[in-house]
Amino acid sequence: MFEIPGKCTFAGGSHPPDSKEFTAERRIVQGPEVETITLMLSQHIGAPCVPLVKKGDVVQAGQKVADNDGFVSAPIHSPVTGKVKEIALQPHVAQGRAMGIVIVVDPENNAPQEPVNDQFTEMFDVTQYESAQICDISRQAGLVGMGGAGFPTRVKLEPNPRLPKDTMIVNACECEPYITCDYRLMMEWTYQVLAGIRLAKRASGCSKVYIAIEDNKPKAVTAMQTAVDASGCSAEIKVVAVKTKYPQGGERQLIKAVTDKTVPTGGIPPMIGVLVLNVGTVAALAEAVVCDRPLTHRVVCVSGEAVSEPQNIYVPLGVTVRTLLEFCGGVTEQAARVVMGGPMMGFALAELDTPITKTSGAITVLTHSQIGLAKFKHRQTACIRCGQCLEVCPENLNPTKIAHAVKFNALDVAKDYYISACIECGCCSYVCPANIELTGYIRTGKIHLAKQKKKA
Amino acid sequence: MLSKMKVSHSPHISQRMSTRSVMVDVIVSLVPAILAAAIYFRARAVILLLTCVMACALTEWLCNLVRKIPKPLESLGDFSAVLTGVILALSLPPRLPIWTAVIGSAFAIAIGKMVFGGLGANVFNPAMVGRTFLTASFGALMTTWTVPATFDSAMPNVAITDSTQVVDARTAATPLGLAKDAIKERKKSAGLAAENETVAAEQAMTISRIAAKTVNDQMTYILTGEVAGCLGETSALALILGGIYLLIRKAISFHIPAAVLLSAFVFGAVAYAANPETMANPMTHLLSGGMLMCAFFIATDPVTAPLTRRGMWIFGSGVGLLIMLIRVVGEYPEGVMFAILLMNAVTPLIDRLCKRVPVGGKPNVQG
Repeated sequence: MFEIPGKCTFAGGSHPPDSKEFTAERRIVQGPEVETITLMLSQHIGAPCVPLVKKGDVVQAGQKVADNDGFVSAPIHSPVTGKVKEIALQPHVAQGRAMGIVIVVDPENNAPQEPVNDQFTEMFDVTQYESAQICDISRQAGLVGMGGAGFPTRVKLEPNPRLPKDTMIVNACECEPYITCDYRLMMEWTYQVLAGIRLAKRASGCSKVYIAIEDNKPKAVTAMQTAVDASGCSAEIKVVAVKTKYPQGGERQLIKAVTDKTVPTGGIPPMIGVLVLNVGTVAALAEAVVCDRPLTHRVVCVSGEAVSEPQNIYVPLGVTVRTLLEFCGGVTEQAARVVMGGPMMGFALAELDTPITKTSGAITVLTHSQIGLAKFKHRQTACIRCGQCLEVCPENLNPTKIAHAVKFNALDVAKDYYISACIECGCCSYVCPANIELTGYIRTGKIHLAKQKKKA
Repeated sequence: MLSKMKVSHSPHISQRMSTRSVMVDVIVSLVPAILAAAIYFRARAVILLLTCVMACALTEWLCNLVRKIPKPLESLGDFSAVLTGVILALSLPPRLPIWTAVIGSAFAIAIGKMVFGGLGANVFNPAMVGRTFLTASFGALMTTWTVPATFDSAMPNVAITDSTQVVDARTAATPLGLAKDAIKERKKSAGLAAENETVAAEQAMTISRIAAKTVNDQMTYILTGEVAGCLGETSALALILGGIYLLIRKAISFHIPAAVLLSAFVFGAVAYAANPETMANPMTHLLSGGMLMCAFFIATDPVTAPLTRRGMWIFGSGVGLLIMLIRVVGEYPEGVMFAILLMNAVTPLIDRLCKRVPVGGKPNVQG
């Protein structure tokens, strides 16, 4: 047995209502039948993929349709059998318009893909797979971090002699309000998740594994603990109940909470020997390695007060948000904004035809009164320097100083107050009594600085 | 389905706090002090309070008109002008003429706040700016203290009938005024002793001792507020109650009040230890005058206080130290407003001194 070095919490953070009750007890269901899907060429951090098919080509389910030679990249596979209709600009969640492959589904040769969770039990033997083999498959299957950032998994997993890893943290916090897809994965696909964890551990060479779950999900803690005990790997895998606080699932915050170590500002977790993987990612890893299936499907949580029937849905990548909302019985009159992701860090959608990508874990529909409470209807006042943003900042920054420096175009001051260290968690905007969009200003400042750097 | 899609930055939700709710919290927390003032000084207190609040609001509206702000009434909605009016009124002597209060309020808002650009931009606490202006301009009026209407005439040595004018109330020395007298008499006695005027020196020393003892004996009256003084500064209990409310509502953090009171107590204890016979004890100093008002409601004004916790400690202890320096060594019996204004002036420096370092340390390469 080994101890938990951290205090299971971090300094700062806020407590938005967790709102998980809409979908927490909803079993994962098979998604709707679709006629077309749209595969974005940019689904991960790093260079976008180059299409390997052209208009009119017939593609098979699981066939690789786009790839890139870059080290930080992951290929994209078709989740369905069908015909390529076009490769054109499509609505992208964060980039406005980006290239995507549109595939018309062939209704005769398509059976909906079923999850593979029942193939995994406590008898799973991880020793039949070699480290190099697992890393290789993670690249070929197109695995990326499914929590949101979309960092190619192979790059993370592969042992690097210059930055040796010894601790792996499975990020099962799900600190964003509403989202429950990771929670359902742990509850229903328990052994698949565990198999993925053991595979990732073997591939990366880590000696210790922590599964970090927020303590507002006691059932998931119990489920994972039972599975770990039943599989006889409790000597190397420890389930940790961390404090429920936003952004507990932020990589840097979670590492601090679990290991008590801090990632250097501007640095990455491997610099202190830590690897962080999302629950969805390890589940996909198990599926890819054991069942030889590339990443073509994922679980999406559709939730919010304004959704008629909130659900956790198993869907092929590339279905549109509109299809999923219709599958959930549509939205009510109060619906005002559709967010890809959670309400704290998600992207507000301008078009319902935006497709699901590897990183979209949730669709949250917010009501008029909710966004009215935020920054639209309420009158913004001047900053009264109450200091609440400083209190909640998990990175110990001075958000109001940075935001106002950006507002008045003093980017050097913003830099001086470590604008680059901001993780854009949104806590400062959330608490600001003056209703100032601090996070928005800071994000804008970062974009301006990046442009400046390019010019220089 | 959705016809209009509104897009904005994340986060898309927000907690229910607003600038107005912060200000209203502070106003609510002052209700006990206002009630105490109304009990002790009757209609006088209420009239003065309403005058200040209305004058402050009116001045802000006029300033907005002059600044050609599109909706000149809108900024009144955040209640910060009302709060300034309340705090100013509570720090005025009860018998101050109405017109003086109006001038003070107008100065507080116009020069203390609006010339800097309004809410959030002012360097100095507007209420204290107004009060300082009144003290400098109408010194006599600002130091005429009325005895509370409920005052017990049997109280020793304090009540002195003001015979120079027809008055509806009696005036008296404040506890801090007495404490100052004690210090002054002791100094006088030392001076006389140096000139070998032993009898006179002994006399002065006796007066000093009596004054100090009287102050220290007044503790219960100071707690309830049955002493002469500014409207809102008399009742320590009412102010503590308000302060606790603010702390519970998280409208203020405990750092500044704790720092002010601690540093004032330490300095007061040192001074008391040096001259226990002729000095008000440190507890009396903490509970009397504007100390509590300052610690909970004035020094904690977020606009003019530092942002970081470390900065708050520095700011608070500076305020406490300056108050006690002025009370014990300086010429004035009370030093709250000068202490606040002086520390307000160095707030930007403190903020710069206490710059926060990111959790992961300073980045190696800037940018």
